[in-house]
Amino acid sequence: MSEKTISNNPESVIYKRCTVDLASGTTTFAQVPCKNLEDVLGGFGRSFQILAERDIAEAYCPENPVILNTGLLTGTSIMTGMRSYFSGYSPLKQSGTGRPGAMWSTGSGNFGNKFKWTGLDEVIFENRSDKPVYALLKEGANGPEVELKPADHLVGLTGHAKIMALYQEYPEAHFAAIGPAGENWQNNYMGAVVMSTDNELKSGEPKSRFAGRGGMGSLLGYKNLLAVVALSSDKLQKITPEIRDVNRDILKSGGSARFQPASQGGGGGTWANIEVLQVFHAVPLNNFRPKGNDDVERLFRDEVEKEFDIATEACHRCGIRCHNNLFYKNEDGSRGKLAAKFDFEPLILFGSNLGVHEPAKVCDLIHRCDLLGMDAISLGTTISYVLDYNERHPDKPLFNGATFGDYEKIAELIEGAGRGTLPGIARGVKRLSEETGETAYAMHVKGLELPAYLPDTNPGYMFAIAGGHMSMGTHMMLAKEGKHSLDEWTQAITTAGLFQVGYDMIGLCKFVGVGIGHNIIVRALKEAAGLEIASADILAAVRRAYLRGLALELRQGFHEEKEYTLPSQVMNDPNPKVTLPKFITNEFLGELRQRVWSIFKPEMEGLLPVQGE
Amino acid sequence: MQIKVKLYASLRRQKFDEADWEITPDQKIASIVEQLGLARQDVGTVLVNGLHAGWDETVAEGDVVSFLPRMGGG
Ligand code: SF4
Repeated sequence: MSEKTISNNPESVIYKRCTVDLASGTTTFAQVPCKNLEDVLGGFGRSFQILAERDIAEAYCPENPVILNTGLLTGTSIMTGMRSYFSGYSPLKQSGTGRPGAMWSTGSGNFGNKFKWTGLDEVIFENRSDKPVYALLKEGANGPEVELKPADHLVGLTGHAKIMALYQEYPEAHFAAIGPAGENWQNNYMGAVVMSTDNELKSGEPKSRFAGRGGMGSLLGYKNLLAVVALSSDKLQKITPEIRDVNRDILKSGGSARFQPASQGGGGGTWANIEVLQVFHAVPLNNFRPKGNDDVERLFRDEVEKEFDIATEACHRCGIRCHNNLFYKNEDGSRGKLAAKFDFEPLILFGSNLGVHEPAKVCDLIHRCDLLGMDAISLGTTISYVLDYNERHPDKPLFNGATFGDYEKIAELIEGAGRGTLPGIARGVKRLSEETGETAYAMHVKGLELPAYLPDTNPGYMFAIAGGHMSMGTHMMLAKEGKHSLDEWTQAITTAGLFQVGYDMIGLCKFVGVGIGHNIIVRALKEAAGLEIASADILAAVRRAYLRGLALELRQGFHEEKEYTLPSQVMNDPNPKVTLPKFITNEFLGELRQRVWSIFKPEMEGLLPVQGE
Repeated sequence: MQIKVKLYASLRRQKFDEADWEITPDQKIASIVEQLGLARQDVGTVLVNGLHAGWDETVAEGDVVSFLPRMGGG
């Protein structure tokens, strides 16, 4: 590396921050020089450094900020470069000491672009407003401007309805909003941030994207910040021949091809995972307990196609087109109204994992969750616990007594969670299972509910720092490669797996599908952001950012053995129906933890700033 | 010699679900993929009689060889 490269000179990159005091309504702008390469790359790599400076004992306190920021490639013409990030201490992720874990959550849509094009890179929302407000971020004649506006007219609306109401006022803007779940923050810790897409604004249909994990929508609700409007003119970066080549390589890479539409020869998005995992009877069913039968096959794409019209759509100018939107068919066979977006996580977590196998019913459940603005993973996985509990205790069931397949009663539970009348569900499965005393089959790690990949196949969940598969890329390793030795898992977690988080720094979607140190990423940063950063330096920065997150977990009181584990059913009652190797025992996890910590801990030293500085 | 080939998800939609397939005794899995007309980059996982196998492995008469597309999520 030459002396002039950015890795040796990160402070030459300056970003624009606005701090908004929601209590007083004042705004402060600052030009902030980057401290290190993680700051330069952005996303959680930057926001976690701010969070780490604070001593936060509970999520709902004025000192816990919500940090909205972007990644280095957000707002550029690199394909998928439109991510924005919401970070804060999570109401959902909580250590055994009661202290909250730091989290970030991210989504696509066009909000990230519009936000970046206001001229801002970061907004820190401090304190809380005593009245409902929304924040208007806009580009002004002399740089970005930020204003708080009354939001009484938005109270009680779904996330989508809030977006459409604001769209009437700001037809040139894009939006991030919370739903009723976020507004009911006292009783709902899994509120998502709902983000607008071009297709949503044009069609009026709820085709939002979601920054769901960790209850960032609930934290916004606590702050009485109901929405953020990003108003700017479009500043589409010129597509140079080099950028065009990068985008072509993204589309041609096998990594992204699996997410591209089936009609274009792609894999059809994450939906295809169902069929592949079913080969091993490893699709979550009835609270992550597959029965070795073919129930889930009714959710295969060919089956769903018989009933619905499937349209693959995309965020702004993205050729990967990973959204699978399902439309009802009219009697004459033409396309009817939107039923739901159908991706692997919601499909499984509101379908087979709740014992619901009819596509129309699954669509309805997903749709309800989306409109109420909740994280589909947290809600689906908490409800599957309730159904499991009720099946085990028919004489003293929880809530309305719903059991697997009980569609109407499940719909009631979703509504109650979103409207704040069922806090037992909406505060997540960790708290609920601790109340019932039956924690063995509560599918969470560190308070974050598991996504739709069996824990029986992924000890890497223990070391995910912001949600099981978003922040540790080992969730498909067993099915893909069959690897199950201690050496292989130690290696996977401490090398490739953790680099999953790199995409949550640079502003691209994980669906680009190549490793974060890949030549495509290096070229993208050079061509679109004008920064030459060597692959090794990118990897080192991502690794530091991940390890800083892990160090922050320990500082917030997560116990390095007891809380870095899996639901005990996995070890104590392995499922004979899953045909993949059964290798996760208490001894295996103990040895794996020891090996991983012995690699990570020396590297974690000195990564956290001193609190209060 | 004859083996049984099974294809899943996008691969199945490109070709067929299941077929008896004629190969030479020393033919490697990579070459079977080629013979099937599948792009190697589209195949993520190969199973021989339900167990994971590599590109350079050979198979035996009557084996069931399953090809799964690349998978991922996030
Ligand atoms: S990969 Fe999917 S979510 Fe990401 S930008 Fe493209 S269409 Fe949007």
